Amino acid sequence: MNLDLSILDYFQYEFMQRALISALVVGLCAPSVGVFLVQKRLALIGDGLGHIALTGVAIGFLTGFAPLWTTLAVTIAASVVMELLRSHSKTSGDVALAMMFYGGIAGGVYLTGIASDKGVANLQQYLFGSLLTAGWSEVWTIVIGGAVVATLMLVLRPWLTAICADEQYARVSGLPVGALNLLLLITTAVTVSVSMRAVGLLLVSALLVIPVVTVQQFTRSFKATMFSAMGAGLLIAGAGVLLSAVKDVPPGSTIVLIGVAVFVATAALAALGRRLRRTRRAHLPPEGEPLEVELPAKA
Amino acid sequence: MPVLNVHGATVSYGGRAVVRGVDLAVAPGEAVALMGANGSGKSTLIKAVAGLVPLAGGSIELFGTAQKRFRDWKRVGYVPQRTGAASGVPSTAAEVVSQGRLAHRLLGLPSRRADRDAVARSLDEVGLTGHAHCSVDTLSGGQQQRVLIARALATDPDLLIMDEPTVGVDAETQAALAAVVADRIDAGCAVLLVTHELGPLTDRLDRAVVLADGKVVHDGAPPRPVGEHADPAHQHAHPHANGHNGTEGADDFWGGK
Repeated sequence: MNLDLSILDYFQYEFMQRALISALVVGLCAPSVGVFLVQKRLALIGDGLGHIALTGVAIGFLTGFAPLWTTLAVTIAASVVMELLRSHSKTSGDVALAMMFYGGIAGGVYLTGIASDKGVANLQQYLFGSLLTAGWSEVWTIVIGGAVVATLMLVLRPWLTAICADEQYARVSGLPVGALNLLLLITTAVTVSVSMRAVGLLLVSALLVIPVVTVQQFTRSFKATMFSAMGAGLLIAGAGVLLSAVKDVPPGSTIVLIGVAVFVATAALAALGRRLRRTRRAHLPPEGEPLEVELPAKA
Repeated sequence: MPVLNVHGATVSYGGRAVVRGVDLAVAPGEAVALMGANGSGKSTLIKAVAGLVPLAGGSIELFGTAQKRFRDWKRVGYVPQRTGAASGVPSTAAEVVSQGRLAHRLLGLPSRRADRDAVARSLDEVGLTGHAHCSVDTLSGGQQQRVLIARALATDPDLLIMDEPTVGVDAETQAALAAVVADRIDAGCAVLLVTHELGPLTDRLDRAVVLADGKVVHDGAPPRPVGEHADPAHQHAHPHANGHNGTEGADDFWGGK
């Protein structure tokens, strides 16, 4: 009981309330995009856009605009370029991704270098997150951005699943594959931009991917994976903020560490479960399935 | 009016012509096989028909409309050439089959009763009703192939395009799939099938087009089996050790229900 009260005590402070709200929103929304990225085997795209976002932050420092908006502009532009490269040239996905990693970091550091002459800039809080310094207006941006992303993903789930699982089939079905791919990349960019204060650009991909790969060890359907990943993201982000408040450490890294720990624990648990149930078969062959061979007569 | 009319189609990969000036027409309700050795261009031609690879020359018409202006893709069922239906995130068989109904749905709107019925019906046709809510990556290769065929059937196609649908499928299942496809042919669905083996599926064919080195070398009666299989006395039933007599009785296709 004492412990409960002391945890509640932290949330008397408005900055803690803001931190918790933003973390919960990001935790809920990031996996709703991430599930499609994992399906498409593009789990690293969040990292790629996170690196590019660094250049966006630096442009914010240089120009004096709020870094959130410059980051949003730069990451969306990058995702459009990425999709054009992927669909119209022979550049493979991982080469484009590699370019984003190098170029994004280099651009960010270079531009920040120029900006710091003017006495601005602190890349650190964007690299690793600084939930506690976010103001209410920033929290609202996170809430609105997150709500738009999650709504789009939930409404378009069947179509996005189709293009992520089997793009060729989706094309032959006459689905707007190019537009949907672009939409997915843009929502990833939005998620990365609004999450950067919560977990930081270098860690944002963790919230896209970890909840999904954690729950999919236990789920059978895409729908169940999506919903339970959103739930897991919410719990991981919430627990991360609480623990960081108790231990007085940065929330971003705490959230990610909890996520990794949960993944490792569930993976071990799932392996154990499989070992225990090895003798039980989920799909018995239909009764009387004919043998494909003729058995030699028993002597 | 043919459902598919290919005229002088040429497809090249990096300057090398893989399909060279192929003419091919499929009439409504007609079942045509596209045959040929590996590298003869049959898969490439079918991908061009499905709009997955661009033509370097010639033209393709679907249902009388030039392919570039064709928008009614829900009339085409497509079974891709692949080894499985599984992907990065678990999906149930019913979820994969319901992708076949997306062309009938408006973007962003929930599925209607007709969509759910079509999914259930095509899962039933391929004998996977009992596995509808199993994750596809726990199904066998042959069952996954049946999921992909059910997905193509769910769209209620007027033209069914299948790229080697029976690779890795046992003889019994092939016979059952052949019966499913034959039902659709009887209902007026045209079939274009890529295959390089004769089997139950090819028994129901009206015509075969044989490609060699990207050109049509035969367009007419399907090739007949030779040797023992050509013997009129040869029964195309394979008795099994458990006394189960293969192809008898429509209810028995999936091995006893």
